[in-house]
Amino acid sequence: MKKTILFALLLSSVTLFAQKKTTTSGTINFDATTSTDALPKAENKAVVASLDPKTGKLAFEAIIKSFEFGNPRIQDHFNGKGWMDSEKFPTASFEGMITNLSTINFAKDGTYEAEVEGTLTLHGETKKIKLPAVITVSGKSFHAVSEFTIKLEDYKVDGPAIAAGKVAKEPKITVDVTFK
Amino acid sequence: MNKPRSSIVKKILIATGLILLVGAGVVWYIFNEKFEDTATVKADQSKNATELLSEFRTDLTNANKQYTEKILSVKGTVSEIEKADTTFNIKMSDSTGAYLIFAFQAKNQQDLLSIKEGDIISVKGSCSGGTFSKILETFFVAFKRCVIEK
Repeated sequence: MKKTILFALLLSSVTLFAQKKTTTSGTINFDATTSTDALPKAENKAVVASLDPKTGKLAFEAIIKSFEFGNPRIQDHFNGKGWMDSEKFPTASFEGMITNLSTINFAKDGTYEAEVEGTLTLHGETKKIKLPAVITVSGKSFHAVSEFTIKLEDYKVDGPAIAAGKVAKEPKITVDVTFK
Repeated sequence: MNKPRSSIVKKILIATGLILLVGAGVVWYIFNEKFEDTATVKADQSKNATELLSEFRTDLTNANKQYTEKILSVKGTVSEIEKADTTFNIKMSDSTGAYLIFAFQAKNQQDLLSIKEGDIISVKGSCSGGTFSKILETFFVAFKRCVIEK
């Protein structure tokens, strides 16, 4: 009887940690500031993300117009045809897999370095990308942060402000998601 | 003969100075321009949360045309509150799982502390548009720079 209860508890625990987790309040920070312009910087606070600890599948998606800039004019430029053309390409998304899943123990508290490979779709272009991520496991909660840069030209984002050096050609992207 | 020439040079210098001053003023204005506080902006439209979600689910393209970048006042029931280090989001969902998500201005987050799931509230914010989430397999509509309407 005791063995049965123990087995049931163990099974439920494994099932719990194996469940795919989602959030609708992840954040993405976009930093394309340069030495001549400190304004192209924004945050999106309504990013949808998922993490499947069993398979290592990681995904996120964001509405481009959800990026909040401090300056209204820069926000307009960001959404305009010279940058993201968000009328035509309203979302960005990433789908990938953790390639070193065996080194991450989602059942044990700790901080783990993850390597993620997948595809990023932005401005209607889909490119393969490798992301470094730090995953912190705390009880049932997983916190993942990934900092990386992208080349805007890879995604055919090439407006005059970028050519003039007012916007970084390789902006820094920080994705921060907590799965509870 | 020298006097008129010196007067012209003086006028050119003054005009150049004025142009530079105006130019600097325009640049300063652009760099320091901020969004108006949503609390003081009049809403373009007032909507019920369930009806708004229904419009996005029924015709996403048309709803995006109609509401994106508009200031909307939305009344509905809080289905979820999501807090993180720097963010404070409130959600209103319908029976299909589709949801509206409101991201609040940092300076207004204090007003949210007393709000709990099940409360009926009115939120004013800038609609960022809606989409179908492939991850969640449902529709969602996002809002930014939100404030609670009292």
